[in-house]
Amino acid sequence: MNSVRSLTQAYSQAPWRKQVKLIVLCLLLVVFIALVAGVYLSVTARAATIGREILLMQVDIDDIELEIADLNNQLAVITSSTEMEKRARDLGFEPIEMDQSFYLVVPGYTPREMVRLAPPPSPVTPVTSAMPEGYDESLIDWLRQRILMAGSLLED
Amino acid sequence: MNNENAWRFTIIGSIVSLLAGIVLIQLFRIQLNPKEVEHFLEQSKIYEGDWRPVYPIRGRIYDRYGHEMAGNTTVYEVGIQLNQVKNPHTIALTLNVLLGLDYAEINEIASREPSDKLIYAVVANNVTKEQIERLEKYKEEISRVYGGTRGEDTPSLAGLEYTPRLARSYPEQEIGAGILGFVNQEGEGFYGVEAWYDDLLSGDPQWVFIPRDPNRAEDLPNIPDGASLVLTIDRNIQANVEQILDDAVDSNGATSGTIVVIDPQTGEILAAATTPRMDLNKYSDYSKIFKGETPFNRVVSQAYEPGSVYKVLTMAAALDKGAVKPDTTFIDTGVIEVGGAYIYNWNSGAWGPQDMQGCLQHSLNVCLAWVATQLGAKDFYSYMRAFSIGHLTGVDMAGENPGRLKIPGDADWYDADLGTNAFGQGVSATPLQMATAISAVANEGKMMAPHIVRSIIDNGEQYNNEPRVLGIPIKKETAQTLTEMLSRSLEEEASDALVEGYRIAGKTGTAEIPTPYGYSSSATNASFVGWGPLDDPQFLVYVWLEKPTSSPWGSIVASPVFRQVVERLVVLMDIPPDRIRKALTANH
Repeated sequence: MNSVRSLTQAYSQAPWRKQVKLIVLCLLLVVFIALVAGVYLSVTARAATIGREILLMQVDIDDIELEIADLNNQLAVITSSTEMEKRARDLGFEPIEMDQSFYLVVPGYTPREMVRLAPPPSPVTPVTSAMPEGYDESLIDWLRQRILMAGSLLED
Repeated sequence: MNNENAWRFTIIGSIVSLLAGIVLIQLFRIQLNPKEVEHFLEQSKIYEGDWRPVYPIRGRIYDRYGHEMAGNTTVYEVGIQLNQVKNPHTIALTLNVLLGLDYAEINEIASREPSDKLIYAVVANNVTKEQIERLEKYKEEISRVYGGTRGEDTPSLAGLEYTPRLARSYPEQEIGAGILGFVNQEGEGFYGVEAWYDDLLSGDPQWVFIPRDPNRAEDLPNIPDGASLVLTIDRNIQANVEQILDDAVDSNGATSGTIVVIDPQTGEILAAATTPRMDLNKYSDYSKIFKGETPFNRVVSQAYEPGSVYKVLTMAAALDKGAVKPDTTFIDTGVIEVGGAYIYNWNSGAWGPQDMQGCLQHSLNVCLAWVATQLGAKDFYSYMRAFSIGHLTGVDMAGENPGRLKIPGDADWYDADLGTNAFGQGVSATPLQMATAISAVANEGKMMAPHIVRSIIDNGEQYNNEPRVLGIPIKKETAQTLTEMLSRSLEEEASDALVEGYRIAGKTGTAEIPTPYGYSSSATNASFVGWGPLDDPQFLVYVWLEKPTSSPWGSIVASPVFRQVVERLVVLMDIPPDRIRKALTANH
């Protein structure tokens, strides 16, 4: 009995060691949780910042669209029939009369064609999503879904 | 550890653990209890974001060569956020000086107490960017000078807000006004192309969720702009034709005027000018300019009795059916009785023996009434319906009038109508209907559907509108024969419509105007229709002057207008004189 007790005493740790071990384990757990929380906060903060930037960019898009419309309108006014005629007359030009026309044969001349502002319709191709399924849900959303499902089961 | 103090640590530990336990229990209780979850989710929804309607940018309208005829420009809505107003007087004075608004009215609005029913009041719309920039500068100035001061009387523009939006803009102002129509403040199209294609131009508005939570920010759905349109009109031709028309109406003292130019081979409308017109950017002037029942676009909306230009259709029908031939002789005695009514020539004279070309050349009502009787009522009206008289042409502009063709069987048709309809009285048609019908004669018997839109640009793709045959009322040989007859008529008459170097065909028209008391001969509708070049018609021009006072005759007032239009057309459309054109064709 004494030898067993001696052996046990020889290999067992001192109480203070056990306490330190417990404290270290707790601290490790706390550090781990802190690390996870830190990473989560960092990612969430970046996502929030980028989200805010996206919202601001959408406002910028609206402003730019307004500016584009304005610039197109200004261009149209500057090149309007009345303005162009005024500028032509100010430069000394006059509308040509029928009997003032002189016709020349120009090889390869192509007459003015109707405007093409966009390509003709193209064959329809099926639309595929750029993002695979399963990548459009955040960790928090997933956890929230699981908790709600658990709550519903408990209620049942 | 001292056992005397151990109980203190135990109590502290227990309290802390209890608190932590309560927090954990509450955490799980709130998140697992569906009722609590629903309650908090409902609360959070208020702050999640807003559903807002997003209106696509209205499509633009171009002429056939890409000149913008209708676009969009930024204007501002100025309003007052009532719960943020600090000094109504400053707001009212500023808006009075910078925007010309009524001081008392604005002061009263800005002084109102906000309530559940009234938080924001709009005080001005369609304010230009330049005005807003002046407003901004003034706002900054006030903020700089009085920013640090507090007090009830401290000048402040707090509460004054302005929101940008796009409004319709017409850079060409009046040019093509009748064709385009206009868009009001609510974005709704009226008349012309703006009304006909309103749905396409305005696109599909969508309700979009705008989140406040940046973690929920995502791409807004791509809402395509409204479709854009490319018209068949040539802006330069339109502007020139309008100028000629305005001069003609002024110099002839006419009540109004209309000129239509179409390509008879495709049905494309190259120009459609009418009076009156308005600057489309000032659509609020509509009721001042278009008084009573004045149509916005007479080209499609005003049906009238066309008079002698209608004889082209009568002769075409008779030749096509074989009721007469070009060399058929008619002895004109100056009067003919049809269905109990006596029909006379324009000068009440007798013209003796005339062939069919002579009847057209001298515009003899008696002869053409006789031709209609030779054709017979059944065939005559069958041909007129084939020419689409009394029917809509289906042109893509709002407000088209079908005109009226009485036919046997109608309660108000009489036998005498066969005689009068033969020379264009007792029947009504719009200028576009007449131009379309007669284009069959210019285009080897084929009547092409008139249209104003050449292409639609939607979702980044251009869809072209292909020419469509509306009908083939007469044979190719009939069309060629009649064209030659009408050309020679003009040449032998030394008409004012002739254009040097170009062979054209055409017909004058002088129509009496019906009144409740019968036909008035003091006021007339003077018309001319013509086309050319004869061997390859590129244009058909229809001119109508309403009630000219300088002279009632189409040959005197309308023919010269036709010539002026063609003289511009051949330059703008690069059509060399016939001699040069034929030489070029021969060389190739």
